[in-house]
Amino acid sequence: MFDVNLIIKSLPMLLQASVWTVIYSLSSVAIGFCIGTLVCAAGLSSSRLGRGFSAFYVSFFRGVPLLVQLLISYYCLPLIGVNVPSSVAAVGTLALCTGAYLAEILRGGFLGIPPGLIEAARMVGLSRAKILTRIEVPLAVRLTLPSLVNETTMMVKASSLISVVGVLELTRLAQNIATSTFQPLEIYLTAGAIYFVINGAITLVGGFAESRFRLEKAR
Amino acid sequence: MTFNPAILTDNWREILDGMALTILIWAAGTAIGLVIGLAVAVLQLFTNRWLAAPLTLYVAVMRGTPFLIQLFVIYYGGPFFGLDLTPLTAGIAGLALYGGAYFSEIFRAGFLSVPPGQIEAARMMGIGRLDIVRHVQLPQMLVIILPALANMTVLLSKETAVLSVITVNELTSVVQSIGSTTFAFAETLLFLALVYWAFLEIVTAAARRLEKRVGRFMLRTPS
Amino acid sequence: MTATPDTGSRPIIDVRGVWKRFGTAEVLKGIDLAIRKSEVTCIIGPSGSGKSTLLRCIAFLEEYSEGEIYIEGELLGFSLENGKRRRVSDAEVARVRRNVGFVFQQFNLWPHMTALENVAMPLKLARGIAREDAEKRARRMLEKVGLGHRAEAYPSQLSGGQQQRVGIARALAMEPHIMLFDEPTSALDPELVGEVLQVMRDLAAEGMTMAVVTHEMGFAAQVADTVVFIDHGVIAASGSPQQVFRKDENPRLRQFLQNYFERNVFWQGAEDGAAP
Ligand SMILES: Nc1ncnc2c1ncn2[C@@H]1O[C@H](COP(=O)(O)OP(=O)(O)O)[C@@H](O)[C@H]1O
Ligand SMILES: [Mg+2]
Repeated sequence: MFDVNLIIKSLPMLLQASVWTVIYSLSSVAIGFCIGTLVCAAGLSSSRLGRGFSAFYVSFFRGVPLLVQLLISYYCLPLIGVNVPSSVAAVGTLALCTGAYLAEILRGGFLGIPPGLIEAARMVGLSRAKILTRIEVPLAVRLTLPSLVNETTMMVKASSLISVVGVLELTRLAQNIATSTFQPLEIYLTAGAIYFVINGAITLVGGFAESRFRLEKAR
Repeated sequence: MTFNPAILTDNWREILDGMALTILIWAAGTAIGLVIGLAVAVLQLFTNRWLAAPLTLYVAVMRGTPFLIQLFVIYYGGPFFGLDLTPLTAGIAGLALYGGAYFSEIFRAGFLSVPPGQIEAARMMGIGRLDIVRHVQLPQMLVIILPALANMTVLLSKETAVLSVITVNELTSVVQSIGSTTFAFAETLLFLALVYWAFLEIVTAAARRLEKRVGRFMLRTPS
Repeated sequence: MTATPDTGSRPIIDVRGVWKRFGTAEVLKGIDLAIRKSEVTCIIGPSGSGKSTLLRCIAFLEEYSEGEIYIEGELLGFSLENGKRRRVSDAEVARVRRNVGFVFQQFNLWPHMTALENVAMPLKLARGIAREDAEKRARRMLEKVGLGHRAEAYPSQLSGGQQQRVGIARALAMEPHIMLFDEPTSALDPELVGEVLQVMRDLAAEGMTMAVVTHEMGFAAQVADTVVFIDHGVIAASGSPQQVFRKDENPRLRQFLQNYFERNVFWQGAEDGAAP
């Protein structure tokens, strides 16, 4: 029988663990955004080295399954004398990985800015740095907001993989309960529903931000 | 830290088997996923809302939840419905259902990308709904959605690694277990990363070439 | 002028009290219009007045909200069951309008097919005509519109005027009893308009029944048997070209024609806005 009581009983624990899921995934997106901006800037720079590094970075972190990246950071960091908590290593890996995707997204955004807007800023005497921080980054973010929101939901989903390297979050806890109660269906469906709600909330907030920051106001 | 490549050469047979299985899973999952995606898109667009609503929910759920959880539900939850799947079958089914949801969105966008006037013209000629799909919509949209389909197919090849968690003996699982028995984590895992990386670069380059060739065909017949 | 219309018989198209609403917007407000065999009816009017909507309702590309449209005596799109109308199946719609051809402002050729395939494909799929026969007929139709030599070209390799002529050939191949044209020359560069109008003139001279939404007043004046002026979703004036262009006093019509002539004045002699 489908055990609704089990769901009700384990829901508080699962919700608690989902807080970690949210913390891990959002912080990896935040760090990844900084990484992505730098990688993207390097990619659009005039330096050949910068462009080469950017291309290498994006290709590697998008070319290797995240699970393999997590296994490498989990097993190999200690080998080179880096001993950090597994949660830190995992978030760092998530951030490096999403940084590659975010770099590509932002690249599209920067290239999508009409050159006239930059020229106008130059003509009114803004400095190069001001143009970047006040004009280009805000415009690129607005232009790419749907993709940025989507990437955030991808990271919420991807964070489930850090359960494999022993970090306690929603998926890991669900596994623990499922193996101890022998009722995996109820537990995994509940965990899936929680992920679904988290991503629904992110999409909702993202949609709100999109309509708020829409560049061409729809009258 | 020592580095001993012999660990890999000693186990080349298992590693090759793992690679073969990874590619098999990828090909099967993609093929079935494409069929699911096309069917879902057609049913969503061309039937009534009572059929479309559950399909929309399916797509939203597959896109809104982690692939790993989906695999757990199918593999560990399957017996609840009398579905006692092997890890491999569960894995391929999971990959196909997951990919199918994304493919359906791509197909849907493709159908909507064909200008409605062209469909009206076909309707005025008395051409049937399915013939319009087959002769007017599909040939045009396939060209348009090819990059997105290729992109998703490449993404699915990376997702196959997750099947190692439900004990499918694909590449990641094989190499990881060699690592744990020999404690040669650096050799095995870095090798694993390089293999995937090279594989993805090759597949991506192939997809680009295909797109270019199809793009040239497009130049001949743009709208 | 065209072959003499037979005014006595039943109209091919009979539009009776047709209303069309999009949500709360009333776009057609009680249209009555009859088109008889071999008649050419030109529909003119300001942009947004409902001309396309009327034509699309006659083709049942839009469902009309109220009223009746009969095609050769058959009610289009609905069945009447003790006074209530019910939407009929798509197959039934297709059957009733199988003798109606439609030519679109944007051509709507299928870009992945050659001119020949554009014309032949519907013959095969909708009429079940064998391939060779379909292609033979398609070739004949392309020759009729002066494009026999471009049969193997893709739409993108054709000029706008040529594309529209393929569009006409495609509709003609189905051997329609009436052809509907929605601004067939409005998407064309001015120098390409003439070739399309010539094809339409020839058709009219052969006795084809036609309803043409157009801004080409010269064409309307020369070819039409009836000119219909639509304004804000009602027929505000109708009659012979002579009647509508010269005599009708409707101020909106006069304003519309005035605007048209002012746009087209480019030398002194036409200054007085004289009608054709
Ligand atoms: N599908 C539609 N939905 C809502 N309004 C429409 C639609 N099609 C046309 N309209 C409105 O109906 C009016 C008449 O349109 P149309 O028949 O295209 O005018 P015309 O062809 O005379 O320029 C316009 O105000 C237009 O905005
Ligand atoms: Mg119009």
